Amino acid sequence: MNKTIVALSTARGRSAIAVVRMSGDDAINIAKKFFEPFPKHANYLKVGTLHTEQFDEHAMCVYFAAPHSYTGENTVEFHCHGGTAVCQAVIEQCIANGAVPAQNGEFSKRAFINGKQNLTNAEGIIEMIDAETAAAVKAGANLLENKLGRKIVELQSVLLDMISACEAALDYPEEDLELPTVKTVQNGLGELTNKLDELISTATLGKIAKHGINVAIVGAPNVGKSSLLNALLGTDRAIVSDIQGTTRDTLTESVNYKDIRFNFVDTAGIRETRDVIELEGVRRAQKASDDADVVLHVVDNPSDRSVFPTTRPQIRIYNKSDLFDNPPCCADSITVSAKSGDVEIIKSALYEMFSAGEIENSDLLITNERHFSCLKTAREQLLAASQDCDTATLDIVTNSLKTAWDTLGQITGSTAQEDIIDRIYSKFCLGK
Amino acid sequence: MKNFDVIVIGAGHAGCEAGLATARLGCSTLLLATNLDTVAFLACNPSIGGTAKGQIVKEIDALGGEMAVNADKSLLQMRMLNRGKGPAVYSPRAQVDKNAYHVNMKQTAENTPNLYLRQGEAVTVDVTSDGEFTVTTAVGLTYTAKAVILCCGVYLKSKTIVGECVRDSGPNGFANAQYLSDSLEKLGFTLRRFKTGTPARVRMKSIDLCKTVEQRGESDVTPFSYLTDSIPATKRSCYLTYSTQQTKDIILSNKKLAPIYNGSINGVGPRYCPSIEDKVVRFSDKERHQIFLEPESEDTCEFYVQGASSSMPASVQEQIYRSIEGLENVEIMRDAYAIEYDCIDATELDSTLCSKRIRGLFFAGQINGTSGYEEAGAQGIVAGINAERFVHGKPPIVFKRDNSYIGVLIDDITTKETVEPYRMMTSRAEHRLILRQDNADLRLTQLGREIGLVSDERYAKFLRKKQQIDNAEKQLCRVVSPKVYAPLFESKNEAVNNAGLTVDEMLRRTNITAKDIQSLGFFTDMDDDALEEIEIECKYRGYIEKEKEAIAQANKLESKSLPDDIDYLSIDGLRLEARQKLDKIRPQNLGQAGRILGVSPADVQILIVYLAQRKSKR
Repeated sequence: MNKTIVALSTARGRSAIAVVRMSGDDAINIAKKFFEPFPKHANYLKVGTLHTEQFDEHAMCVYFAAPHSYTGENTVEFHCHGGTAVCQAVIEQCIANGAVPAQNGEFSKRAFINGKQNLTNAEGIIEMIDAETAAAVKAGANLLENKLGRKIVELQSVLLDMISACEAALDYPEEDLELPTVKTVQNGLGELTNKLDELISTATLGKIAKHGINVAIVGAPNVGKSSLLNALLGTDRAIVSDIQGTTRDTLTESVNYKDIRFNFVDTAGIRETRDVIELEGVRRAQKASDDADVVLHVVDNPSDRSVFPTTRPQIRIYNKSDLFDNPPCCADSITVSAKSGDVEIIKSALYEMFSAGEIENSDLLITNERHFSCLKTAREQLLAASQDCDTATLDIVTNSLKTAWDTLGQITGSTAQEDIIDRIYSKFCLGK
Repeated sequence: MKNFDVIVIGAGHAGCEAGLATARLGCSTLLLATNLDTVAFLACNPSIGGTAKGQIVKEIDALGGEMAVNADKSLLQMRMLNRGKGPAVYSPRAQVDKNAYHVNMKQTAENTPNLYLRQGEAVTVDVTSDGEFTVTTAVGLTYTAKAVILCCGVYLKSKTIVGECVRDSGPNGFANAQYLSDSLEKLGFTLRRFKTGTPARVRMKSIDLCKTVEQRGESDVTPFSYLTDSIPATKRSCYLTYSTQQTKDIILSNKKLAPIYNGSINGVGPRYCPSIEDKVVRFSDKERHQIFLEPESEDTCEFYVQGASSSMPASVQEQIYRSIEGLENVEIMRDAYAIEYDCIDATELDSTLCSKRIRGLFFAGQINGTSGYEEAGAQGIVAGINAERFVHGKPPIVFKRDNSYIGVLIDDITTKETVEPYRMMTSRAEHRLILRQDNADLRLTQLGREIGLVSDERYAKFLRKKQQIDNAEKQLCRVVSPKVYAPLFESKNEAVNNAGLTVDEMLRRTNITAKDIQSLGFFTDMDDDALEEIEIECKYRGYIEKEKEAIAQANKLESKSLPDDIDYLSIDGLRLEARQKLDKIRPQNLGQAGRILGVSPADVQILIVYLAQRKSKR
């Protein structure tokens, strides 16, 4: 018999409500011992009283009968008030009645073992858990619905047609089979490679959906970088003063705009200095700008045309517009007054710049590093196969096609590799 | 003599290899045949080899088996198939003299010490409580042995079918084995019913050869056996012709008379070897089908009509054959027929072809649900080798998917429940780039030597080839100046630049062969087969290296053994079908588990998780 496991499914710490989940053959029997009235039907959330050693608590309870649950086992959820003490008491009550604490990722592992999800699904759940913005949730949800899996199976099946045609030609040299001419294979490969390219190209948007856009705020001392950050965040996060060199370290803060996230990095002002700490700050500022997706180069003189030394794309921000007599000299820049707090124009410009609006319309985004690297490898293998069509014999061409097929299979788990599974399980967090 | 170390039942292609192997390894061996005129009888094609099968013949030879030697002795002509498609799929194929093949093999068996050839139909096989076997023949004689190898081919309760004429008979009118099936069922084996077929034999003189394309053998093909120095020029030609629209019409209008369509054949036939009626019905959009006319023997004018097997009534057969181009006035000498027979489910066997339940009882050849002489021979030698090891208490020899087609074959049939007669194909061998026909000796002769089947002569030849290859490899890094190689390169349309090239770099050029390099003063004193080897290894090095990596990757799963005591039926998460299949087949490792039909990659992942949990619990 399967042990019944229990764990807190929502985040630890203070919250309005918390969910404790139990899964296993005995979950329903255990719950019946201390929750009354226990719901008569599966899938309906019912209010009742939860008796623990220390107190009785008004709570809600729902159960799912095997195999129609997330884990594929009998599952019970208690929705109770948030707070460490309450949750701990509920979990202890479950354990006292026969449940055991869940290991890391055990719920998902059971779901996987009970055939409720495949590898890509499992990865989708991780992505959902990690998601911090609506766009990231959507990308994760697409994975969960196995859109990627279906897409890959589609590509694999095209490839399989080519492989089997080649194999038939190799194994039946005497039959006058319709030989797949190298040309048809090559054309087919061209189309396949294009489809892979389309998928791979979504990774840029996928990364934005998942991790947000990293924006470094750089510039000379006292041009108002920290004020700008505060304005962008809508809080007084950074310390602001008239003294040059107030910001000595980089400071990263995130804010959601529409459905994506901006990660702003405020940096130390760049100037000649002998102060050791400030020097380090300057070095970090340089690094932050190199790591960023885009650099906001802040200046406070409308005639400043300087360019920040970075390899990354940059936008010049004329700050302190309330003090300008004349409009700034350069058109392709943004003029704001951080002090006034109205800096939405920067966010909308960034949003435009990265076409983040497309995320909502995109059917499928590659957000997972492993998928990305498999797709890239498969693409290289297809290119190699296409090259083999020109230079090598049919046995080699067929082998190259098969390798690409196997690589695609690694995404959906249609080839078993232990290390993939290990990595997935090490990524699961408790609760789901 | 009544008591033997080993009894081999059946003296076809599996039985001969099995009996020769055990006898040569020192076991007193009884080789029983229902009819001694059927020893190594080529019941279907008068041909040995072909794609994947040619590789198998070379492997049997490398191990010290007989098939290749016997084919070379009985040769009518030889070709290398798939030239131009790459060395991984080069496949030698021979037309052989059917009578000579039988006579030569029978003589070899007769002259082998420890081997006792005996006519007799085995009717029962029993195992005593102390593990000894008794075999009784139809005439009431009883023999005992420590191990038995069943190589009954297609003879078990076989029926031949020509239209409505269904007879209890073996191939070609030979008597079948009526009783042994029941004995096997008593021993607990589940029998299945498979079917296959063979075309008519026709009189050569009645064929209008002008309407066909003659196909001669090739002179530059290496013999099957590493022991054979050279092969004769073409002794007999084959002829290529085609079926016609008329063939289609005749078959379609007589479809109701075809036993495979009117329900009188129950056995499962192979998809890859369809009868002419099956081809016409299933591939109806194809206008014509290839027909090869193959000579049966130098002693006869009978020709085998490859591509036109049939179980239609004899009168319809004549119409069908006469609709083929060039065969308008053909005289049929023997009718085409289908044959149905009992066979076992080879997943009841382990990787030595021994029954998992009854130790010492081995099975080889078509009784295991395979088809083909070569597939049978391969199983015969493996069963023979392991029966000897069983008798003498030595550890088994297991052939692996990464060292031979033989390994692929045995793993496939003992792992996957084949639903039709199993034929080897190069596409079944995932590592076929390594399992080539040119390197079978390099892969297997050392093993054969350790087993004890490789003669001194064969071993010396193998060592010489290896030595030549080693020497050649040492010369690969030598640098050659443009002055020396320019004339050669120009004559071969290869670009010349001013830099020196290593021998390796030269050999990797598309149009440069090892022979060309030899003409520059390298690779001296090397035989052709060693030259071929070094050429392939150089030209395909990148791909071969990749393949070796793939093997190493696959071996990670192969090396994860599955303990005998796993209760698959109780593993949560495995789908029901997977539980049942795993419980039935009980694979030896995760790699094998993944190859079972009905076990999905997801199931293998679950097994991995299960193994990890089980380990952490202990």
